[in-house]
Amino acid sequence: MNWKKFFIAFIVAFVFLFVFGFLWYGKLMHGAHQKVPTLWRTEAEFGNHVPWLVLGHLVMAFFLTMLYAQFVRAGGAGAGATLGILVALVYAGADLITFAVQPLTTKIVGGWIVGDLIQFAIAGAIIGAIYKPSSLKTT
Amino acid sequence: MKRFIVAFIAAFIFIFFWGWLYNGVLLKDVLTEAQSLFRPLEETMGLFHWIVIGQAGLALAFVMIYASGFAGGGIAAGVRLGIMLEILAVSARCIIYATQPFPVKLLVLVSIGGFIEMIVTGVIVGAIYKPAPAQMP
Repeated sequence: MNWKKFFIAFIVAFVFLFVFGFLWYGKLMHGAHQKVPTLWRTEAEFGNHVPWLVLGHLVMAFFLTMLYAQFVRAGGAGAGATLGILVALVYAGADLITFAVQPLTTKIVGGWIVGDLIQFAIAGAIIGAIYKPSSLKTT
Repeated sequence: MKRFIVAFIAAFIFIFFWGWLYNGVLLKDVLTEAQSLFRPLEETMGLFHWIVIGQAGLALAFVMIYASGFAGGGIAAGVRLGIMLEILAVSARCIIYATQPFPVKLLVLVSIGGFIEMIVTGVIVGAIYKPAPAQMP
């Protein structure tokens, strides 16, 4: 494992995931989310739970990078984007199940799925572009 | 390809029954404590096909990730993939907890069930799927 590259990829992925999440889910989808206001915390309550938001994105970025570093290793941005899309499909499956059990609108669940696909494809591409395995030592 | 399909079907069947047993039966009372965040049961039953499609998508994505980078590692690699994917799901639950007023107890129990689900799925997929042998020129 190339820990220096791993750390840089993890930090850049975290910054991207957090900023994209804020813009896509927090700003662009704000109106759609407000169609079901009873599902969400109030602004004040949300303010007290922001550390969980940060922690969630940190863990997400760390393990997406770990997944890439352990199993894709040296595929570059394209392989990273492919891994990101496959991970997004896992999330999309969970989104559909959530839609069946929580009173979300089709616009919300559609927005979540499209957001997941864009977010993880780009995050995967970023990780793939940055992370390179340690060069093999020859004897 | 045959093993891919068999692994997908086996993983889907397990995820479906585990989801029903754990979330539908064992966690029924805990879920009732947060009833205001869920659809009424009749409404959920009317959307049941989305649960099936979601679980099938999850199983398919699991096998695709395994086949593209983990294949050859057997059950151990399947379990490692399952653990990593569930940690990613837990990270999403942290974000959900920040935005929706779910009880902590519910999210912890759902995550425990999620780890069991993904580890067993990893065992199933790792035991069934084998990469095609390299062809000699």
